[in-house]
Order: sequence, then structure tokens, then C-alpha cells
Amino acid sequence: MTDVTLKIDGVQLIVPAGANIVDAARTVGIEIPIFCYHPRMKPVGMCRMCLVEVWVPKLDPATRQPTFDSEGKPVMSFFMNKLQTACTAVVGESMEVRTQTERVKEAQRGVLEFLLTSHPLDCPVCDKGGECPLQNLTMAWGPSISRFDYSDKAHFKKPIPLGDLIYLDRERCILCGRCVRFEDEIADDQVLGFDYRGRNWQIISKSDPPFDSKLSGNTTDICPVGALTTADFRFRARVWEVSSKPSLCLHCSTGCNVTLDMRHNQLKRVMPRENAAVNDIWICDKGRFGQRFIESPERLMQPLIRRGERLEPATWDEALSLVGENLTAIQRKHKDALAGLAGERLSNEDLYLFQRLFREVLGSNNIDHRSGAPGEPHADDLGALMGVGVGTNLMELGANTAVLAFGVDPEEEAPLYLVRLRGIAQRGGKLITVNPRSTKLDRSATQKLRYTPGSEHHVARALVHAIFAEAGMDRIRMRVSDEDKFRAALKGASIVADAAAAGLSEEAVREAARSFVEAENGIIIYGAEALAAGSSLIHDLGRIAVLAGKVGRANNGLITLLPWGNSRGALDMGVRPHHKPGYITADQRGLGAREIWNAVAEKQMRGMYVMGIDPVYENPASREALSNLDFLVVQDLFLTETAQMADVVLPSAAFAERDGTYTNAERRVQRARQARLPVGESLPDWMIVQRVAQACLAVIAPEMEMAANSGKGKARFAKAADAKATTFESGWGYVVVSEVADEIADSVPGYSGITHTKLAATGTGGIWGRQTNESFYYDGTSYTNFEGVGIQYPALVEQQRMTFSLAAREAKAPATDQKRSFVLIAERLLYDGDPLLRDSLLIKRVPTAYACLSAADAERLGIRTGDRVLVESSVGALELPARVKAHVPTGSVVVPANLPDAPLAAVQTGPQTSVSVRKV
Amino acid sequence: MFGSLLKGLQTTWRYMFRQPVTVQYPDVKRPVRERFKGRHELKRFANGMERCIGCSLCAAACPADAILVVPAANDPQDPVSPGERYAATYEINMLRCIFCGYCEDACPTNAIVLEHQYELSFYDRRSSIYTKDMLLVPQDKGHGEVPPILEQLGRQPSPPARIDL
Repeated sequence: MTDVTLKIDGVQLIVPAGANIVDAARTVGIEIPIFCYHPRMKPVGMCRMCLVEVWVPKLDPATRQPTFDSEGKPVMSFFMNKLQTACTAVVGESMEVRTQTERVKEAQRGVLEFLLTSHPLDCPVCDKGGECPLQNLTMAWGPSISRFDYSDKAHFKKPIPLGDLIYLDRERCILCGRCVRFEDEIADDQVLGFDYRGRNWQIISKSDPPFDSKLSGNTTDICPVGALTTADFRFRARVWEVSSKPSLCLHCSTGCNVTLDMRHNQLKRVMPRENAAVNDIWICDKGRFGQRFIESPERLMQPLIRRGERLEPATWDEALSLVGENLTAIQRKHKDALAGLAGERLSNEDLYLFQRLFREVLGSNNIDHRSGAPGEPHADDLGALMGVGVGTNLMELGANTAVLAFGVDPEEEAPLYLVRLRGIAQRGGKLITVNPRSTKLDRSATQKLRYTPGSEHHVARALVHAIFAEAGMDRIRMRVSDEDKFRAALKGASIVADAAAAGLSEEAVREAARSFVEAENGIIIYGAEALAAGSSLIHDLGRIAVLAGKVGRANNGLITLLPWGNSRGALDMGVRPHHKPGYITADQRGLGAREIWNAVAEKQMRGMYVMGIDPVYENPASREALSNLDFLVVQDLFLTETAQMADVVLPSAAFAERDGTYTNAERRVQRARQARLPVGESLPDWMIVQRVAQACLAVIAPEMEMAANSGKGKARFAKAADAKATTFESGWGYVVVSEVADEIADSVPGYSGITHTKLAATGTGGIWGRQTNESFYYDGTSYTNFEGVGIQYPALVEQQRMTFSLAAREAKAPATDQKRSFVLIAERLLYDGDPLLRDSLLIKRVPTAYACLSAADAERLGIRTGDRVLVESSVGALELPARVKAHVPTGSVVVPANLPDAPLAAVQTGPQTSVSVRKV
Repeated sequence: MFGSLLKGLQTTWRYMFRQPVTVQYPDVKRPVRERFKGRHELKRFANGMERCIGCSLCAAACPADAILVVPAANDPQDPVSPGERYAATYEINMLRCIFCGYCEDACPTNAIVLEHQYELSFYDRRSSIYTKDMLLVPQDKGHGEVPPILEQLGRQPSPPARIDL
């Protein structure tokens, strides 16, 4: 775009054409006060606070050329003979803006005086007090007295709940409409609106349940007054009293940057921390309100040891020596009889040490990061190997970008991706959703491909071939193999047939392929439903990206939405049976989670170490298996169902109680800081793993010494022979967590150089923050990022270290069964039965279980909403209340995953299960 | 020599017949000045409600960081103070307090007042922390009566800040 030269208060500046005056003035540090304008939303000019004088060159009516006075200066005229709102006024060539004239100041004083005529003086009570733009702008720009009769002030009943999370104080509201516009433009939830007139004009919620948005908390941040406050932070503290600790939200794989606002070791509120490449300045309600579990009274305070039937408190020394003795005893007596599971919300350091403990000390590759429930999809490597390139910033992408969203529901899986993908479409990019059922993202999409459930592979194959038809082999930018097989497969394939099998038209597939190939940047984002279809589908998505040349550079590649905050880190750190850290194939393959359960059931497995994961909850079948174990150690925040069966329970510190690094869906490694003291005697997970390792070595090392003396010592333990030097020489003498991070940086491919020091020095994440002369955007509500924005490590494909096979992988045909004609879709919900939502306000939003059917199926089976239906598979059955929904595709039944009253593990035979449905 | 002795005794005798300046504390307590800043009191409104609304402005103003306020939401059925907010915890560390009276100045409801009680001594540090129970005046007292000094001068106390509770 061309640039425009203009003057603001005598300062000459050059800004891109199309910028508004507020933004232009800000670039040279000139403050224009605003209430309603927000740089992330379209200007509306509602509050009138940004009034300025705009002078433009006077044109000669005959020639349309500027006129000049006798001194040769252009003659300026006062534009429209009125003050203009600077947020809606676009800069123009040779324009002169005056922000400090008496006319402007009088208008601003007038606006503030008017605003205050119906704004109560209850700042001492108001939660916004201290970070309130109205307070600050009144101090800086307002009149010191009011001519308005105090008794004529408008008063309303004090706060009314706008939803169960947000309160509205109508008399405080200045009707800037930021909240309404945020919900409409950014969150795509048309749930707020204006109602009534005149002095009764007010914000209302139009939805049922009220204020039904997963991003509602953000409206309280951008509210320039205390009209919208959260129920979570209501009167918990004054904002100047809290100390903000940089942290991360681990509830999904977005890795949103948050600050934990602490006072007296208590969490007062969670606020977004700006990071342009991750969450910008927003967070979802789960991240904002769902962190109360760290202060739950149910947290484990001290180690527990089983004595008879009961778990009794013990000291760390007792517990650890018991763990060390038992684990080493099992290792000595039985071959390959130890297994470990570690959760996906643990930090990279915890997970790295966990796999070291198993691989190096206990000599076992039987580790996994998941629970082994039947509904779990395969582990996804491609999202890291061919992930989006370093420097990717979805917030900057727009025109020239095509996004293929395949089998993903970002609203439920990772709400911030909804905001970011919608943003790309709003800025002119192409957003193609490929889904069996409609999601909220469809509303923002430029093209929708709705395929019949179970036909993912046909869609993907059709897309692969359509992309090949568009681009041929010319766009491939990486080493590929099996080209001949690929060409051979092409001969028998037809886009028409594949598209038809998926219920799509050929033209739609070709159009999607064309958009994707022609765009300069292409991103494929896929989630739970794509992962459920199996690795061959993901491989097909990889083929699409490779053929279209959309890999190996910034803003191009794959993004996988994995379930939890450090799912990617768990894969990177090699907490899996066949890969060591950095996706290096292990010498010997161990057992994965599902195989572990089989081995436990057959009494092959004798001891288990379960850290930060609750397999009994996720996979009830494992309960029975666990009773076969000789020894079970569980390390967790709570006495989970698995922990109740343990021999030793070790209390760990929550993410807010320790430092650590976490890797998000786009391979960005970010650091969370300690915000409070660990509760009770709990310790950080990495420290516990280290102590367990030391306890094991304390048993092993003396034996090794004896063995070494008799000439039979294994090389692995040779250097650990000296019992005194054991811990340090064997590398189990970390003092602080950053030493573990340093070791990861040294030894894990990809993570090289990502130390805590480096992470802290990665910038402030953007332009907001509370800084001098920038206060007028967001005064108060601080988004300041002191902790850095994290480091995105290069994907393997960027390092040119990868060869990709173009041959299709054999797709496991979905088992079709006359009797079981429905496909069971396990729908991931944001507010599900996640035990970490405990103690939060979101519990009220967790639905009771249901089975959704399409209208056609429901009619055929004579089912109406509210009837009870039996969902039956080859392994089990589940009775659920039915719901008939328009968005459900015919031939499928949608049941929410991970709800305590719908234990899907009992029915599922795999990520995709065929079931029968009947009314009971 | 004898003369000097008498000279000294002369002073003694002279003071023997005068009123002593000392008082027999603690049997006798000297009255303090009207504007003396002693121990704090948390006042009430005439209807018995607490004046303190838990806004923490006193804590913010306190140069010695002696005040701790933990606010909470009022139960609308049984409010402790007018408005939505009240102080669930209100503590002053008397060892830290420098009796400057900034808290009194900052208070928008005239809830905290430095009164005339000066007997503040403790056996340990813990007991130097005065809790809300100790600071709060009884239900029927301290409704913001005009202090005698202002009454003498015929002046009214400055009104509390006008706030809409």
C-alpha cells in the first residue's frame, strides 16, 4: 500500500494509507484518548472521546488542485467544519491533525463530563478501580467538576449476572460496545447486544444460556470501565496489590501465555499475557477460570504409603526408599517387567527425566504418555516433522494464505485457534473446512467440504490427486521417495469416484485444491477427528502439503491440535516406547500404553510408575489390570482413582508451583515461572523423578560395584560404581530445573540452544503493555510480557533432514457391519469431565452426557430428543439420553468424550467405532 | 559551702509548694491533644453497619505497609457494610504503624480514625497485629460524632467522599 505523509500536532510522519489517525498518532507517541476504539476491532466512533481537528488542503473548485496563499503555503481548511473522531478518520495526504487545541480539549472535557453524569462514583468498590481507563482519562483529560445535579444521576440495580461467569453493572457501563463487537467480530458468538433506549440503553445477552461464549472473559479485559467483571475475581483483591507471575495455560495445545496474579501465595486471577505468535492478547475461559485446581483443598500434601488396606502418610525418605527398593527388585527378578506412564501436562524437564529414569536406570523402554484408552488415536509425529516453519505467525496471515482445517473443531479443542483462523479469513485468506459435521469454524470459512462420516480417506485421496492435477511435481521442495508408487496409484484413482464416495462434488474438491495450491502460504490444521481416522489420513495430509509445496518455510506446514498443553513436548521428549527424545528411533522397541495394559493383565508386567495421568479414570478397564501389579507408584496432584490403588503415592507440585518449559502445537517452547509455593510437602515432578532415580541407584550401585569387582559389571553402570559419587556422576544431581533444560538443549535434536536464559530473552511479545504514552490503548489491564515469547524450534523438514514417502499408506478400512451401521464420533468438548476443572466456575458448564443423532436417523428410528437410547458396539453398550441435532451427519452418533457419565471407553473399539443405536 | 547548700535547698523548697508537672501514670492519665493520633478505630454508620467497604485505599496509602485488607463480597441478605464489598480481614501491624494518619486521609467513608488511645505495648510481635475485631467499635458507638475540638471551633468534620454504594 502507498504511504501517506501528514502532520499531527506539527510532527510530520509517514504512515501506510488506510491507517486511522489514532494509530498514526501513536506511532509518534502522541496520545489521543479513546474508549470505544480497539485496534483489534473495526472502529465505530461511538464514544466521541477521540475528537480531533482535521485540516485538509483547500482545493480550487475549478482545477481540483490545492490552493496556495501569497507565501506559497497551501491553504488549509477545517474539514467538515467539525471535529472528527480520530478512530474512524483515515489519514490523507498533506492532512494536518491538531489534538491539543482548545476546541479539542473542550470537546473531550465535555465527553467525559457527559459520561460521568451516569457513571456512579463507586471506584473504591469497583474491581476495575486502579486499572480503569475511565479513571485515568478523567484524571488526564476530564473536567475537575461536574455541572450535573448529583441527585439526577442514572442508577440501576447493582450487578446482574450476564452469564454465570460475567457480571454486568449497568450504571457503570459507558456503552462503548467493545464487548458486543468483540463477541461479534473476534469470537464469532453473536451473544451480546444493546437493548432499550435513551438513558436505559444497556447491554444484554441474547443467548440461552446467557453469554454463551468460550471467550467471554476477554470482554472484561477490554471493558474500559468496571461494567463487566468476572465472577471469578469479584472482590478478591485490588489490582495494584497482586503480583503478576508469567505462566502458561496447559489446558490445550495452544500454549496461551497467561499471568497468574498472586497475592499472599493465593491465585487471585488469571490474565492473558501478550504473545503475538500464540494468543495475541486473548485467552479462553477455560484458561482464565479453569486454574483453580492448584488451590484445591484436595491436593495431596505428603507422600502416602499403603499399609494393609489403607494409604497412610509417610515421609519422603520412607516413600522414596520403598520405591527404589521395589522398582529395582522387580527389575532384578523379572525381565522387562516395569512400565511407566507420564501425562501430557507435565513439563519437558519432567518428561525428559522420566524417560531417562526408565531407559537408563531401570533399563526399560515401556513408557508412554497416554493412558491406552481405546478411543485414543495414534501418536502424531508428522505435526512436528513437517510442522509450520519457524517464524509462523497466524495473526499476520491474511490474503495469499490458504488454511485447510481437516477434521478439527477449534472451538472445542483450542478456542484460540478459532480466533486466529477466523482472523486469517477476515483478512482475506482462504479458509477451507473439511469436516463431517458443522463446527463454529464453518461460519468463518470461505469453503466448506462436508463429507460423510467415515470417508475421511476418500476426501484426503481426492484432495491429494486434485492437488497433483493442479501442481504436478513441480512444487515439491523437499526430498521425497516412492514417486513411482505414487504415479502408479494415480492411474487407478479418480477424483470423481473418491469425491463421490465422500459425498462431495468433484468441482468442490478441485476448487479447494486450487485455492490451496495457488495461495502463497498454506497451512493444514487437523484435530481430534482427523487423528481418529488413523495415521494413513495424516500421511495423506502430509502428501497434500508436500505436493502443494507448503512445507519447510515460515507460515507453511502442518499444525496438529493434540489434546493437552505439552502433548507435543511429550512426543519430543521421547516418552513413548519406540522413540528417544527428538524422534530418534530407540534401539529396542518397548511396549506402548495399550500393550502395557495387555502385559499387566497377563501378569507380565510387575511394576508401574504413573506420573501426572489417571489411566483408571480415562480407561476403566485398566482398574482390573492394576490389581495384578506387585508394585504401583503414582505421582499426582490429587488422590486420583489410580492413586487410590497405588502402593506409594507421591505428591507433586502444580505447574504454578515450579518452573518449567512446555512445547505447544506449533513447536514453540515456552517457559512458565513459579508463582506460588508448593502445597504441603509436594515437590516438582522433575525433582521427584530425580529422587526416585537416586533411590534406585542407591540400591543398584553397590550391587554393580560388587558385580564390577567380580568382572561382570555392565558398562552402563560402570561409572556409577562409586556409591558416593553415584548421583553426580550418573547425571542425577540436578539442583535447579534449568540444569535439566540445559541438558535437553545439549542433547535433544531440535531443542539445541533452548535454555531458560535464552527463553527469557525472547522479547516482549508485541506492542501493548503498560508503558508511558501507550496507556491509552489498554490502560491498566496489563498484557505486558516480561518472560519472553518462547522459541519455535525448526521442524525436521526445515533442517532438510527428512525424506517423505509419496506413496499412500494403507488405510484401515472402517469395519462396516450391517448390524452396527452408525459411526460413533467422540466429540471433544472444551468443558468436559477434566478433573482439573475442579473448584472452578466452569463446572456448571460441563454438560450431562448425551448422544446426538441427525434428524433423518432419529425419525427413522423413532427417537426424539430426551428419549433414552442404547449405543452398542461389539464390546459394550452405553445408555444415554438422545438429542436430535441438525448439525450431526446422517449415519453417525456424536457422544461427548471424557464425561464421567458417558464412559466411552466401555464402548469404543478404537478411535472410530461402529455402533448400533436403538431406543430403549 | 553552707551558703551553696542553702542555695540548692531553696530550689527544693520552692518546688515543694508548687503543683507537680508529673502525673502518677498509670493511676492518672494525662489528657492528649484533640488531634493526637493514637490507636485506630474502625467506625460504624448510625444504623450499625461498618463504614469500611474493604477498598484497600488505606493499605495503598500506608507508607509503612502496616495495613492488610482482604476484601470479600457482601451477602445482599445480610450485608456487613453498605455496597457490594466489605473487608473480610482488616489488620494493622502496630509495630509497623508510624501513626501518620494517611489511612484516615485516604479513607473514602471515614471508616478508619486515629483515636486517642496510646497504650500500645506487646509482649510479642504477633500480638502487635490488631485484627478487625479489636479495631472495630461496638455496634452502638462511633457513628462519626463530631470531635469536640471541631465542636469548639464550630466546624463540621470534612464529609466522607461522595460515593454511590
